[in-house]
Amino acid sequence: MSNPYLPLPVTIKKIMVENEARDIKTFDLKFNDKKDADKFKYTCGQFAEISILGVGEAPVGIASSPMDEDFVQFTVKKYQTGVVTSHLHNLYPGDVIGIRGPYGNGFPIKDLEGSNLLIIGGGFALTTLRSLTKYVLHKKNRERFKDINLLYGARGPGEIIYKSEIDEWDKRDDINIILTVDDRCGLDWRGCVGLVPNILKEKAPSSNNCIALVCGPFIMVKYTIPPLLDLGFVPEKIFTSLEMRMKCGIGKCGRCNIGSKYVCKDGPVFTYKELQGMPNEY
Amino acid sequence: MENKKFKAIKKKDILKLLESIAEEYNIFVPVEENGDARFSVLKPGQDIYWDYRNTKISPKEILFPQTETLFSFGEGAEVKTGGSAAAGGKEYLIFGIRPCDAQAISLLNKVFEGEDFKDPYYLERRKKTTVIALACNKPQIDCFCTSLNGKPDNEEGSDIILFDLGEDILAGAVTKKGEKFIEKLNKWFKEAGKQDITKKDKLMDLSLKKIQSQVDIQNIKEKLDNDFGASFWNEIHQKCLGCGICTYLCPTCHCFDITDEINPETADSKTPKGRRVRCWDSCMYPLFTMHASGHNPRPTFKERMRQRIMHKFNYCPENFGEIFCVGCGRCVRNCPVNIDIREMLIYIGSAK
Repeated sequence: MSNPYLPLPVTIKKIMVENEARDIKTFDLKFNDKKDADKFKYTCGQFAEISILGVGEAPVGIASSPMDEDFVQFTVKKYQTGVVTSHLHNLYPGDVIGIRGPYGNGFPIKDLEGSNLLIIGGGFALTTLRSLTKYVLHKKNRERFKDINLLYGARGPGEIIYKSEIDEWDKRDDINIILTVDDRCGLDWRGCVGLVPNILKEKAPSSNNCIALVCGPFIMVKYTIPPLLDLGFVPEKIFTSLEMRMKCGIGKCGRCNIGSKYVCKDGPVFTYKELQGMPNEY
Repeated sequence: MENKKFKAIKKKDILKLLESIAEEYNIFVPVEENGDARFSVLKPGQDIYWDYRNTKISPKEILFPQTETLFSFGEGAEVKTGGSAAAGGKEYLIFGIRPCDAQAISLLNKVFEGEDFKDPYYLERRKKTTVIALACNKPQIDCFCTSLNGKPDNEEGSDIILFDLGEDILAGAVTKKGEKFIEKLNKWFKEAGKQDITKKDKLMDLSLKKIQSQVDIQNIKEKLDNDFGASFWNEIHQKCLGCGICTYLCPTCHCFDITDEINPETADSKTPKGRRVRCWDSCMYPLFTMHASGHNPRPTFKERMRQRIMHKFNYCPENFGEIFCVGCGRCVRNCPVNIDIREMLIYIGSAK
């Protein structure tokens, strides 16, 4: 019987600081054993448990796209109270950690094909949406999806993550990027200024044959859904990704449930329609 | 059970039988401990506590230990899988478990099994375990197994069921594993006589009548489907201290935590020595669902009590088709503020 609690060793290849506050870093990880790499097949929206021996584990969404074959990327925010994230942020390229996964249901790619996509991200929750965006923009995949709009908001220009990637995407003509900040912080900012739900109402994208995918702090998602519904998006076509305190990641330890659903196993991706049928306990 | 063939053995011969298989099995029996009963490995010269009502701590700790090493790690960050193998690779024998607790084992099996992920620690132990249940002659005042498809001689979860007739013990095989077990040890048994069987039937009738607690939970799952926002949750938790005793003693509670421990002398090393440990946890504790951001989806006793009841009587039936309660009464007996889950269920059942 295989043991799902054993972490697979990976080496940190590269660390990139994503924001001005320097508490969000993207880690490029490479499996020490090629066999583990071959078995680690994931879809956008899934997560893995990052394991540091002697410290603990933390569930983090996978930021790289399945089309990236050499490494797996995770974007991790350091929390003051976070034991694992604090330790992780003190590591260097060459250090070895572990990952377990991939876990979770991920975004249902097949159901997104043939539709327009409205991708809405807030703060560093853009991470699994970045996986999805990279995937759909890949030349092998792009033609299966129609128009793509990415609306991304952060607290300030310094807090925008994946800056160089977003610049690259902005130059393309097969995706439309709308960036917004809560406060331009006195900087030379050419994007929008305003909270994501307000910018959404302003831009009023069409809901015709469109699927919305929203990831962000819960309060942002809560206020983004009503304008989406007003624009004509139906609950079955609004996707979001939830977070919970997790330990096992495989639906056994009983911790991350909302109602009868485990966020680690039946989620973390849920449609708004599913959320409506679940107890209000986030 | 009408057509079951029963074997008989003198009670005083049981210890010798168990001694004869001690090389092959880790044998867990109920023994007396500080005025209570607890399952522990049978030691030479020790006696089985035949008249025990039920153990304080449920025997789930045999298959799902309170603390368990998942793996250890050391120099070079190498991971060594720890103790899922039973001590010395021997089989396990759980002897004299009550039918309610045996039924709980069959419920725990569902949790640790799974199409996508299996828990090797529990399952490998379960595979090498033979369960011999002991039917109840004297149910306790707070036993309510009959409200949950149980009874003093329920067979669910056991391989063999025993009946204590006084000097004699009757044994009936429940599963193929149980049949083989009895066959291998045939020389210890003789065929049970008609009088033995009549005596057993009488004992069980009397025993069944002793269970006076009746809780109508036929439709509790359906009732709770619509009760998440009900106002009774505001009252139902009020006595609760959050001590977690109910979850620790409950034979079907299975929530756990995973933490890392380091050998102190290696604490400053880049590759410390230590182990990753799994241990029992409780949904009744506030940190159970606390996020690193400080947000807690279950911030007060109300949400946590609701979770406990919903998990056992609504979410598990939804996911596994079974209520995760066997009516053993441990939570009723041991709650320091006398919260009685039977009263709660009756209240919920009749609340609008």
